[in-house]
Amino acid sequence: MSLFRVLTLLFLLSPCIQAFTQDGKFIYGEVLDVSNSQPLIGASVYWEGDSDGGVVTDLDGKFELLSSTFPGRLVISYVGFERSIRVVSQKDAEKPIRFFLKPEEMSLDEIIIQERKPDEQLKNLEMGKASVPIETIKNIPALFGEVDLFRSLQLLPGVQTAGEGTTGLFVRGGSADQNLVQLDGAPVYNPSHFFGIFSVFNPDGLKSVDLYKGNMPAYFGGRAASLIDISLREGNNQQIRGEGGIGSISSRLTVDGPLFGKNSTFIISGRRTYADIFLRLSSDDAIRNNNLNFHDLSVKLAFVIGERDKISISSYQGSDFLGLDEAFGLGWTNWVTALNWSRVKSEKFFFDLQAYHSRYNYSVEFDDPENGFEWSNKLSESGIKAIWTALPNEKTQLNWGVHSQFYNFSPIDLEPAPESAIQSIETNPKNGLLNNLFASANYEFSSRLSAEVGLRWGLFNQIGTGVDYSYEGGIPGPEAEITDSLRFRSLENMKFYQGLEPRIAFRYRINDFFSVKTAYNRNFQYIQIASNSSAGLPIDRWILSGRYIEPVKSDQISLGLFHNFDEDRWELSVEGYYKDLDNVIDLRNGAQVLFTDQVETELLAGKGWAYGTEFLLRKNIGKTTGWLAYTWSRAWRKIEGVSKNEAYNPRFDRPNDVTLVLNHEFSSSWSAGLTFIYTTGQAVSYPVGSYQVDNQSVPLYSEFRNLDRFPDYHRMDASVTWKNSDKGRKWRGSWNFSIYNLYGRKNPFAYEFRQIYNDDITFDVGSKGEIISSRPGVVMTYLFTFLPSITYNFQF
Amino acid sequence: MKRLYWILLGVFSWSCQEEVELPLGTRSELIPTIEAYWTDQGAFNEVKITLSKDYYDSTEVEVISEAEVFITIPGTDKVIPFGFLGGTNSYRPINPLEKAVIGETYQLTVRWHENVYVSEGVMLEPPTVDSVTWKFEEERIFRDKGYYIKVYGKIPFEEDNNYRIRIIENDTLKNQREDYLLFDDTFGLAFFEEGLELGYSFKENDRVRLELFRLNRDAFDYLNQLVNLLFSDGGLFSPPPQNPESNIRVVSGPPEVLGYFMVTPVLSRSLLIQEKYD
Repeated sequence: MSLFRVLTLLFLLSPCIQAFTQDGKFIYGEVLDVSNSQPLIGASVYWEGDSDGGVVTDLDGKFELLSSTFPGRLVISYVGFERSIRVVSQKDAEKPIRFFLKPEEMSLDEIIIQERKPDEQLKNLEMGKASVPIETIKNIPALFGEVDLFRSLQLLPGVQTAGEGTTGLFVRGGSADQNLVQLDGAPVYNPSHFFGIFSVFNPDGLKSVDLYKGNMPAYFGGRAASLIDISLREGNNQQIRGEGGIGSISSRLTVDGPLFGKNSTFIISGRRTYADIFLRLSSDDAIRNNNLNFHDLSVKLAFVIGERDKISISSYQGSDFLGLDEAFGLGWTNWVTALNWSRVKSEKFFFDLQAYHSRYNYSVEFDDPENGFEWSNKLSESGIKAIWTALPNEKTQLNWGVHSQFYNFSPIDLEPAPESAIQSIETNPKNGLLNNLFASANYEFSSRLSAEVGLRWGLFNQIGTGVDYSYEGGIPGPEAEITDSLRFRSLENMKFYQGLEPRIAFRYRINDFFSVKTAYNRNFQYIQIASNSSAGLPIDRWILSGRYIEPVKSDQISLGLFHNFDEDRWELSVEGYYKDLDNVIDLRNGAQVLFTDQVETELLAGKGWAYGTEFLLRKNIGKTTGWLAYTWSRAWRKIEGVSKNEAYNPRFDRPNDVTLVLNHEFSSSWSAGLTFIYTTGQAVSYPVGSYQVDNQSVPLYSEFRNLDRFPDYHRMDASVTWKNSDKGRKWRGSWNFSIYNLYGRKNPFAYEFRQIYNDDITFDVGSKGEIISSRPGVVMTYLFTFLPSITYNFQF
Repeated sequence: MKRLYWILLGVFSWSCQEEVELPLGTRSELIPTIEAYWTDQGAFNEVKITLSKDYYDSTEVEVISEAEVFITIPGTDKVIPFGFLGGTNSYRPINPLEKAVIGETYQLTVRWHENVYVSEGVMLEPPTVDSVTWKFEEERIFRDKGYYIKVYGKIPFEEDNNYRIRIIENDTLKNQREDYLLFDDTFGLAFFEEGLELGYSFKENDRVRLELFRLNRDAFDYLNQLVNLLFSDGGLFSPPPQNPESNIRVVSGPPEVLGYFMVTPVLSRSLLIQEKYD
């Protein structure tokens, strides 16, 4: 759960805090989910007939209620769970009482797919924020049956995908490197497996995911487009429990439980593919000698220390490896560790401290006696963030704090094999120190009007050890001669940038069913990826702002209308936004950025802007849940040296985007999911002719970029889940059968414009077969048509 | 890297391909393409001028035969005129004995109707090729089974190390996208002294001709960009396709021209692949 949600909840719990101050005898207890012993936060507890005198449970599911006449009938209710009424005697009241609530879905009542309050979207100040409950994500039909966090986020309005089968996210016109993906507060630099086909998070180990589409509180920042804030789940403190699944591609297992008594818990979650095992079964040497796998492993330990402190330690490690013929290997690893300490200094004053270290590295090995090499690179970010929160009165919430980040981008390291004739390459390291001061105030002027004003001040230094180059004419470029180089000692300042990032939001509640919100946000981003392909690669080169590369600046204004109806069963929202981007980069034609120490000579910089309107109709309660989203949006870039210096659409500009997500609970055993997606095709460049060079025909392109479009993309996925409804059994299993691309739509992944020989697109000129004919043609590649998969999931 | 992705997809048979017909744009004005070689060997010196065409047009490109083509040495009165030869569909020096001299800067001028195109290049000193050998190799990663040629030589230059090796196999120019052998000094040049293995497999009795060019940087960049474009599959892992940046300037006329002017020394070797000399 994000800090903001925690604080909002604490704010909402203020009546509970007030109740503690009353005189008289109290009864104590906690409310837990019977299915997993997780505490239920915000459950209502009251004596029958006196709901006004009730309280709600705190962050640990605990409550403290003024006692009544004994014996009394105590009512415990929580949205989505069966209401429990228990007779409490004087004897019962002398010790803490534990209540277990059953989810309503287990009794065939309506199900709730969200954790927040039903009218939350009308009350809060959040704009451009989307929360998708993990349970919802698990119900969405999945590619290969692999439930995927990012693929689920792609179904939200304002989020575009790079293309078929990939998990890259493009949020409100921002590029993929403008999204900050953080796990328990620590950034994850390459959040994908298998070249972007799967994201790195095992959903069983996750507690929540919040997507901030540009508007974010002042205590978050660092990227221009979005924040994807992911929290690992904490273990329960009652008994060892587990869940997992066996799927077509991978299997996963999560185990959690108490660690040292009731005040500490653990959870460990792992996943591994077994593609390589199947490869070894092949009779074809060319396939059998390949290796292909990924795994991820996460651990979280949580300790409650006394009444006021809670510490958690989270760690995630995930790796991919692709090996070919035992001679070539490519691997990459994310390793993220975070420490979080929360202290309740008083009922109205809180302190949170986060410390983290995130490391990403890749390695490429080529085992060849003459040209072999080992090429590796790593980058890391270490950070510490302190946040103080005060609730001086019921209407005011204050936050302030500091966030320091240290970036270390190691030199590119290419070491030739001992007998290899190629020369080693080593570039210079890049280091950066970013200190952020932030403060924000949230004030409720009246029941209708509330506002949030925040300011984040980023102070960025590119620091040594490092080298800066001077170029003839002062401007770096492929033709510019290097006139000088300056070497900087460790921690010596190389270049300084600073920027103020105001965050402003207003909410006006028109009535019980409508509210209007508006927000303005500025973000600076001091790191970028130097790439001009649309999909991320594990070897992408991250670069820091410095002498020639200015930080990206993003300004976004947004306005939205929010409406709830049918007793908050339905939510409707319409949000419009306009975003300006400065100092976005692109690459020169033919740029080589992987091995150069003068990467600035390969870059072009310019502006971008995006605008759009997002409609979302969402049903959260009932046997049928889901949402229908429509986004109309445009994204533009204008970069000197690209598209004749005219504005152009990046590939992910897809003006119309419709998604439908449905889940229906037929019975306690059977449920089904359906997803439909329609988007405008990607913006691309098709040839406008051809010409002859070097005795071959070459496609001729317009000097203007991306004037053409792929055909519109659409796809429907479906899934059916059967689960054992015998809730008394220790082992509960379920089967999920999914079909990706139900009607087999051939959505293009790529169009290749090339010569077709002998009217056969598979004819290989290198095969030295006789060429009878040759003509220009277009070859379409498409992926994943009608792809069924089956997964067995279990809990114990 | 992009190819690895395709291997990944291919291994699992997740991808399919089929030929499609897309409605493509056309150009009202065709763009001239100039391919000009100016070398120290007369047989290589020629200028081809053709016009672009619609993408689906499978007829031969239109050759421009009425242009005025000449090479000059800036700062001198030296003019080397070219004339059109119908047999080769290209312009060749009127005086076939004219050729590039090391250290000299040359300027190409092409006049066609109202259009004037100009480009310059410096004739660089060639490296040394000591020997060329071949050897039979079993199948390796990224390499088929067959005979592989190694070139041994010396490159003593500190700068302008931009090279292309062109292969003609049994009178056919190897010009598929994977056939371009371009290298510079990014990874050093020791591999040239220790033997540069060409990435093609040959078979017994293949007649092979190797041609080594030392190029000006702009011409080398053109070829690199050309290869990148030929490898572009239009997918997410390819950069947006762009025409290679020509080193030819438009002095007058419509602003677009395609092609290159290469001023280069040429070192060539011919060999016959025979097992007994392996």
